[in-house]
Amino acid sequence: MKLNLFVSILILISFECNADIDVKKIAGDLSKDYKDETLWKMASPDQVINLMGQPMVAPKPKNTETSLINVTAVHDGKWIVFRMKWKDSEVSESEKLATFSDAVALQFPIKNNEVPPPIMMGGKDDPVHLFHWKYQYQVDAKKGKKTIDQIYPNMTADMYPMDFKQKGNFKEASKDQKESFVGGTAAGNPQSFPKSGVDEIFAEGFGSSAVSDSHLAQGYGEWNNGEWTAYIARPLIYENGSKLLIGKKSHVAFAVWQGGKKEIGAIKSLTMMWTPFNILEK
Amino acid sequence: MAKVKNWQINREMDYPYDENRPKKQWAIVFDLNKCIACQTCTLACKTTWTSGKGQEYMFWNNVETKPYGSYPLAWDVKVLERLGHQEWEKKKPYYGKTIFEAAESHERAAHFAPEDQDWMYPNHGEDDCAGQVNKGDYISLQHDKWFFYLPRTCAHCTYPACLAACPRKAIYKRQEDGVVLIDQSRCKGYGECVKACPYKKSMYNAHSRISEKCIGCYPFVEQGYQPRCVTNCIGKIRIMGFINPPWKSRGSNPVDYLVHKTGLALPYYPQLGLEPNIYYIPPIHADREYLTQMFGPNVDSAIETYRKLKDDPIAQGLLVLMGSTDRIIHDFNVKNGFAYAYDEKGDEIINVPVTEQIYSRPAFDEKYGTSRNNTP
Repeated sequence: MKLNLFVSILILISFECNADIDVKKIAGDLSKDYKDETLWKMASPDQVINLMGQPMVAPKPKNTETSLINVTAVHDGKWIVFRMKWKDSEVSESEKLATFSDAVALQFPIKNNEVPPPIMMGGKDDPVHLFHWKYQYQVDAKKGKKTIDQIYPNMTADMYPMDFKQKGNFKEASKDQKESFVGGTAAGNPQSFPKSGVDEIFAEGFGSSAVSDSHLAQGYGEWNNGEWTAYIARPLIYENGSKLLIGKKSHVAFAVWQGGKKEIGAIKSLTMMWTPFNILEK
Repeated sequence: MAKVKNWQINREMDYPYDENRPKKQWAIVFDLNKCIACQTCTLACKTTWTSGKGQEYMFWNNVETKPYGSYPLAWDVKVLERLGHQEWEKKKPYYGKTIFEAAESHERAAHFAPEDQDWMYPNHGEDDCAGQVNKGDYISLQHDKWFFYLPRTCAHCTYPACLAACPRKAIYKRQEDGVVLIDQSRCKGYGECVKACPYKKSMYNAHSRISEKCIGCYPFVEQGYQPRCVTNCIGKIRIMGFINPPWKSRGSNPVDYLVHKTGLALPYYPQLGLEPNIYYIPPIHADREYLTQMFGPNVDSAIETYRKLKDDPIAQGLLVLMGSTDRIIHDFNVKNGFAYAYDEKGDEIINVPVTEQIYSRPAFDEKYGTSRNNTP
């Protein structure tokens, strides 16, 4: 009951927003090139947006690890790119046990209602569309998904199912046959496959997020002197997802994970209010 | 938090979900007086379920030497430390806090997170004895130098902390047998289950990037067979069956008999509040205070009962049925010096003599013209 009340209050306050981000139109193809510094000189100034440790459901962070994120965005008529900057003292990649990746996510309402959905993962019948960039995914995309031998070079295993060290006089098992012994890949869990950089996710409430098959969105992050600069590029229109209309106001929410502080899943810093943005015609 | 009945601590306790007991509850009983830490169970499990990539370090079944052995490192000490000092008076409910009740607002259960290195020493403390054995020492009973072996699988708890902690609701408890599973298609590898399970039986796979755990050999169980770690136990120290809560206990059910009727077998760390479903006949020569901490205040009566086994032909019969069949025994009976095991339909699976007959034969076999030896 208490929780429901809190959610209701949040829905109300979530409609009170941060200052608008004006998303200028620039010439070019943002699906191909969105990192060029000269391009970002044409963008509106960064908006400084407050984050706080996710306060609603356990597991929660004990502290707010990321309290500010600087955001701006541009579009080219078909694609929109958000540039986000936040402080993080170290680069963290999830590979060994109990290690977690740095990450950032954008969230958009799917229904263009006047009142956006509950800010934390949407609500029943009021879903949200998320774009989740992880440094781990970027490493996957650049260097391929790390193998266990690369993660633990000194680890030994006598043999894996259908994967023999000595190549004998028999037909080598296919990759699919070998992977059928791995629970995640055998079950088709997207988490267990190499990533392209950004996960596109739908959700309608806590614990309901589902990674979609779409891999249109792109992402890139660079860490310098204790600060991440990350870009997430997405088409303005997803027929089966969020639709960002030129000349209209839309809403976005942000979440940041500092892997080095063991942040993952619900343990994150996020915006408690929707940030409005205007997709300008020019 | 809902209020749920936990019979092991004999009171209601807080749990994030309502009480929802399965139709049948998977359970294993281990006789710790017989375990020799041969690790055959560990290897049977390893070769069956965890020989894949990312599972190199995993032992869904492990055997550790107590008090010093632990896998992952110091799992028991750390969870007890996290829980803090708690009291449990004999013949009274446990009024201390469970890990759900001791949880802080940021967590579902009072937990600790093992680090990478904590998983890397499965043999840590093996055969290490509590106390120093000095030159000239000799054994007297009770031993003041002691250790015992503790084989462990997932306890497929009635109130699993892994399930409670999963923010994705990717962990579920099966109605048909009470086995707790991680949905391999939904898990996102957040590791909340790894942190929350006080027994540390959820494990993260760095290859598949999601978590995994003991599956109770459910494909065997569905066919009426006991898990691999049970059927491969060369010491015949284990029996897997289905336990009822005490208010539905049946004396002819082997697990109910050992746990409820005789009180021979006890859950481990019941004070944590998970109602774990692996049960131990405690070792009779280990330190009693340590055993009380691990098995609760009923450990004295369990050991007393074990010492009087010679006067209980029914329990004797049941103990010889352990390891005598790979099928799941739903009912048993002991009569005329034989122990009988029955399946779910009531059909006999096997019968074994409670006491092996002794045969005396001449040392030289006239018929075959050869000497006999004593090899059975």
